[in-house]
Amino acid sequence: MRPLGVGLIYLPELDSLFREGNPDLSVLELEPETFWEKHYPEGPGGAPAYLPNLEAMARIAALPQRKLVHSVGFPVGGTRCYGGDYASPLADSVRDLDAAWASEHLSFNTVSNPDGLEQVGFLLPPRQTLAGVELAVSNIRRLAGAMPAPFAFETGVNYLKPRADELSDGAFFAGIAEGADCGILLDLHNLWANERNGRQPIEDVLDELPLDRVWEVHLAGGMLLEDYYLDAHSGAIAPELLDIAARVIPRLPNLGALIFEILPGYVPALGLAGVRRQLSRMSELWRLRSGERIVVPRSGAAATHGGEPPEDILQWERTLGALAVGRSPTEVHGTSDLARDPAVAVLRTLIGEFRSSRISRALHFTTILMLASWGPARVRALLAEYEDHCYPDIFTSGEADRFATFLQARLDDLPPAPYLREVLGFEHALVRAALYGERTRLQWDVDPTELFETLEQGRVPAAVGGRKLTMEIVPD
Amino acid sequence: MSTIKLPQDPIPVRRVNVYVTRDVAFDLKKMNEVTAKVLGRLGCDGCHSGRLIDYHIIEDFVVNPATLKIEDLPGGHI
Repeated sequence: MRPLGVGLIYLPELDSLFREGNPDLSVLELEPETFWEKHYPEGPGGAPAYLPNLEAMARIAALPQRKLVHSVGFPVGGTRCYGGDYASPLADSVRDLDAAWASEHLSFNTVSNPDGLEQVGFLLPPRQTLAGVELAVSNIRRLAGAMPAPFAFETGVNYLKPRADELSDGAFFAGIAEGADCGILLDLHNLWANERNGRQPIEDVLDELPLDRVWEVHLAGGMLLEDYYLDAHSGAIAPELLDIAARVIPRLPNLGALIFEILPGYVPALGLAGVRRQLSRMSELWRLRSGERIVVPRSGAAATHGGEPPEDILQWERTLGALAVGRSPTEVHGTSDLARDPAVAVLRTLIGEFRSSRISRALHFTTILMLASWGPARVRALLAEYEDHCYPDIFTSGEADRFATFLQARLDDLPPAPYLREVLGFEHALVRAALYGERTRLQWDVDPTELFETLEQGRVPAAVGGRKLTMEIVPD
Repeated sequence: MSTIKLPQDPIPVRRVNVYVTRDVAFDLKKMNEVTAKVLGRLGCDGCHSGRLIDYHIIEDFVVNPATLKIEDLPGGHI
């Protein structure tokens, strides 16, 4: 096929860039799960279904750029994926967008506990051993077999120190790419972060990789958190990383796409003009590649993987998963020095921020009301208590439902906050209607629109009362 | 209960209808905005391993509403 060119991760905040005829923007990469909702057709406790926003998908499909699909919710480096059929809607998105290929992360985000599967709310590094290679190969072959397009995995970020009992990063990636007969999404920002945080240098990683399998390169900006350089997707590409990319790109004979990643929260700071500047610089990099055709083959037939995953990997996931969400592991992996790795504190901070951000997104007015009534310290303490109490959920709806349930059970013991019960009840009812199809009747003794307008100004509403209003929230 | 149904724009993945008492004067447009704000944000986060700052933005806004703007985070503290 012909190489696709330079592109961007699709965000609604960047939508206008995809419509302005920018010659530097040839590729749209979609993270489809960001346009999915989770739904439990059988109610709480059942298996989730994942529902794509078809209206948004149709709008995105109609944009003029070539498309790629980059899955973010169901990584291929672990023993478990969180429940429900995700492969079908993922394959649908690849088909609907006529994506040139699909990709996923070489990480894990789910742990198997005695009580069942739980999510850790973050892409954690997998056990980097020969058995880990076999596991990822099996996962990739199974998922690739369900995709209507070729499949690649992304070289992941890993904040942990390198270990004597693991393969080098490059050997691990190479073994998986060859074993699964798949492509590589070379995330240079991840590898640069790994190098800056003490892992294998990029050049050494590249020397171990089958570079003809690299179909795609990701570039992004990052930031420091204490001594760690984070893969934060928080702004412009650093000049040093542009220099690295300029050295690497000529070595990639099958490079088909060069993609810039940024998170929605950081778009205002960089600005659309700033994003255009990244695309322009990437177009200069793109001209360093050669060749009019690239070879992007489908993976071989899906292999059958018999038996349980190795206990060593299961223990790694349970130990690292528990540490990352701030729990004491119920068992200690043979590599018990995991608990002493200073990156664990970084993971806890980041996962905590992920969780509070999801909560504040769906329970927007509840969050403002708590902050305005109690102040930041009290709210942070409450969020920390919640995080100790419940595992994360990577879907905003799931995390918001868990926190709302936690908060409702404590309302009588918390300091007063005017109309908190009503505001929380309203937002939670909307979330539960979407998640479980639940119907809720609410009683207001205040005009809710006046209440929400006050909260939008960051102020505590006055307890006036006097208005009676009944509201019913009814899912279709 | 005599009710009216609030409009929905944009329509979320699964439509959730909100009915309110018909005889109460009510800012339907405002209520629709509030409902859309919740229902439009229920999906999965994008790919990254950094800092998700949605909560910090709200916290900063509430502490000092006059400065509702997004700035670079200078690294923060663990």
